[in-house]
Amino acid sequence: MPIHDQGYRRYGGRRRAFGKAWWVIARQQMRTMLSQKRYVALLILAWVPFVARVVQIYLAANFQQLSVLATSAQLFRGFLDQQGVAVFLLIVGTSGAIADDRRANALQVYLSKPLTRVEYIAGKLFTPIAFVLGITLLPALLLLLVHVAFSGSLSFVVQNLYLLPAILLYSVVQALLGTFTMMALSSLSKSRRFTALTFTGAFFFTAAMYQALQRITGSRLWALLSPRDVVDVIGDAAFRVPGPRAVPVWAALLAVVAMIGVSILVLERRVRGVEVVR
Amino acid sequence: MTARPGLPARPTFAGGAVRVFSLSLGEMLWSRRTVFLLLVTGAPVFLALVARIVQGIGIVPLRVNGAPVDGPSVFGMMIWVFFLRFIVPVLGVFYGTALLADEVEDRTITYLFTRPIRRGAVLVGKYLAYLLCTSLVVLPSVVLVYFLLVPLGQVARTFTSFAADLGLLALGLAAYGAVFALVGAALKRPLVSGIVFVFWEQIALLIPGYFKRLTVAHYIQALVPHAMPSDGAVSLLQSVLTDNPPALVCLLVLAAVITVTLWLAASTVESREYVLDQ
Amino acid sequence: MIIAAEHLSKWYGQVSGLNDVSVSVPPGITGLLGPNGAGKSTFMKLVTGQLRPSKGQVRVLGEPIWGNQALFQRIGFCPEQDAFYDRMTGREWVTALASLHGFDEPAAADKAARAIEAVDLTEAADRKIGSYSKGMRQRIKLAQAIAHEPELLILDEPLSGMDPLMRRRTVRQIREWARAGTSVLVSSHILHEVESMTSNILMINNGRIVAEGDVHQIRELIDEHPHTVSIRTSEPYAIARELLGDEGVVSVRFEPGGLVVETTRPDAFYARVTELAASGQCGPIHEITSPDDNLQAVFRYLVKA
Repeated sequence: MPIHDQGYRRYGGRRRAFGKAWWVIARQQMRTMLSQKRYVALLILAWVPFVARVVQIYLAANFQQLSVLATSAQLFRGFLDQQGVAVFLLIVGTSGAIADDRRANALQVYLSKPLTRVEYIAGKLFTPIAFVLGITLLPALLLLLVHVAFSGSLSFVVQNLYLLPAILLYSVVQALLGTFTMMALSSLSKSRRFTALTFTGAFFFTAAMYQALQRITGSRLWALLSPRDVVDVIGDAAFRVPGPRAVPVWAALLAVVAMIGVSILVLERRVRGVEVVR
Repeated sequence: MTARPGLPARPTFAGGAVRVFSLSLGEMLWSRRTVFLLLVTGAPVFLALVARIVQGIGIVPLRVNGAPVDGPSVFGMMIWVFFLRFIVPVLGVFYGTALLADEVEDRTITYLFTRPIRRGAVLVGKYLAYLLCTSLVVLPSVVLVYFLLVPLGQVARTFTSFAADLGLLALGLAAYGAVFALVGAALKRPLVSGIVFVFWEQIALLIPGYFKRLTVAHYIQALVPHAMPSDGAVSLLQSVLTDNPPALVCLLVLAAVITVTLWLAASTVESREYVLDQ
Repeated sequence: MIIAAEHLSKWYGQVSGLNDVSVSVPPGITGLLGPNGAGKSTFMKLVTGQLRPSKGQVRVLGEPIWGNQALFQRIGFCPEQDAFYDRMTGREWVTALASLHGFDEPAAADKAARAIEAVDLTEAADRKIGSYSKGMRQRIKLAQAIAHEPELLILDEPLSGMDPLMRRRTVRQIREWARAGTSVLVSSHILHEVESMTSNILMINNGRIVAEGDVHQIRELIDEHPHTVSIRTSEPYAIARELLGDEGVVSVRFEPGGLVVETTRPDAFYARVTELAASGQCGPIHEITSPDDNLQAVFRYLVKA
């Protein structure tokens, strides 16, 4: 046919399988965050403690006089604790993940596409979890590798094989707990500022509440109210820090699961295409 | 050209502020932000209830250096630890920086700025609504904590200091609210600046010399009728470095701070442009 | 003049929102037209004192508007943004905003009730604004702008979101207000509805005023664009033979039932066609229309060219 039809034609190419749309959300969120200088600066600065620890490991491995700096299991626990500030700031920076969409009435648009609510939430969770693990799990594992490289032997790793699951567990618990609670709070509001403040307030206030209740009642079980202290208990247990724990580890893990569970419930109720106003 | 006959006289500054106050109070009281406020002010009530229950079953709720502490002293500590150091400054930041920022974010500021009332009056009206809203929630919380902790037999003896506590907390809300109203009016990222200010205050109180006189906390804390708790190194250091001015001086300074910062905030709002997101 | 802008410019950093605009808006209804990003919203915000001019000045009702809150006693503004205090009912909201004009509570409530009735929202007035449809939200916005009976109404896309019946009613309402003495500046994309409200327009593009005044006069001034005249007749070829020889006729195009002629001399052309119709020498002429003596054509020529 010499003259071709210029009219509309259906797309005949390959389409992604249903269920992969979460990656579109995640990718967009990542791009948005990385386009802002403050996040990029935070991600870069969060690696400064890693560099300091690398220097420490190097010095300890190569200079006998500096053997006091020798690598121990507590180095990794200390490193992950140090990253706590950066983790907190990163998570607070995602306060607008769902709040901004609610403000712009974008949820209706998103959920009118072949995108399930689960995919939407998964996409929103992916970026902060990835970033948090990128400044906790990844550098901690790299530190292990650095130690092996500088010491020239695997003996430390073999003697402390529990470090690998400990680093994984502690990083993942931090990332999941922080991100799920932030996303749940973000879904409750249309203001990213309000969400950030509420998260910050809750984080510090629950810790203060625990301290006060512990002093009043003498019981450390109140630590279950404070996410920060609960994660500390898990970290102490994972890294085999000696000493009594505020609460049993199983209780701390249960508390984490419960908090994530409540966050999921909130997300399930709030992430909807329509909001009924009575 | 003059206004059409039948139109009322344009509201004065005070009249405009009162009208904005009426409009804003309902919005503030019934907003989600108030849920946060209730949770924050409910925590000390919960603590007081736990302390009362614990005391009821025969356990002394609080010991300092092994010595039991009586109800009024526990109440005094809670005033310091929860209300003065946390709740009042945080509410000041939370609400004060958002007086107009919320309206700008929600794009409802247009309706207020296209009325025949001065923009400064809008800010003052919103400030008054914030003050009443927070006082209505914080002060009853203090009352509940007082009656939960202080035995009835000691109420008469401690009532004067309790009344002073109520007054100074209201004064604290007024002072922090005014300061952060200025921060919110003048700065692009008021929340970050507000949080930095709160941290700065804690540091400034530790520095010997005149720095502490640049803080609101210095004058508020000087008016507290209870002894500062020695609950840690920071408090200990603060109590050592305390140099309390006379009560009258504190009241005058705080009144001046409220007046000057509110006036500056109102002036800033009058001359500032608010470009709304489309 | 109701609104007078002199060398008005507004920059947002490096981006120019409005560029050396000098314009006067007379009493009555004036339509502000322009494509997206033309500077309409910037002009509206400058005229309502929300933005300060980077250069030049703007006077409303004879007084500078920036920082002059007293002027708002006489101005009503219906913004474009869909933003409300969702928890308030329509009545509460309009009453509260009316009270900011100095009315005491009963008077403010009365003004609000009248305004709500004028926009046909009385039945829904006691429902929360958050439960309103888009059209209802638009109407309640209009209500808050008119509650205090202003001398000047500034309406930014007032018909947005309204159903066709409500649009017609609102257009009629605006014309009534104008007849009662209120001046109206209305910004819109809906050309035929602006045309049904007024022939006095202000056209803006790329931050500059492109044209102002009566739409027909503007059309006549656009010399380089030939006028298009549509003639419905049973003998199109006969008429075409007669007209093709005339000076000014640029093109002739045949369509079912008639022909469309482009001419650079519309007055002479109409006279010629009238002659032909009267003489009957080319058969009957059923209808003569000019599809581009309207706002759409003017807009297209001035803005989209």
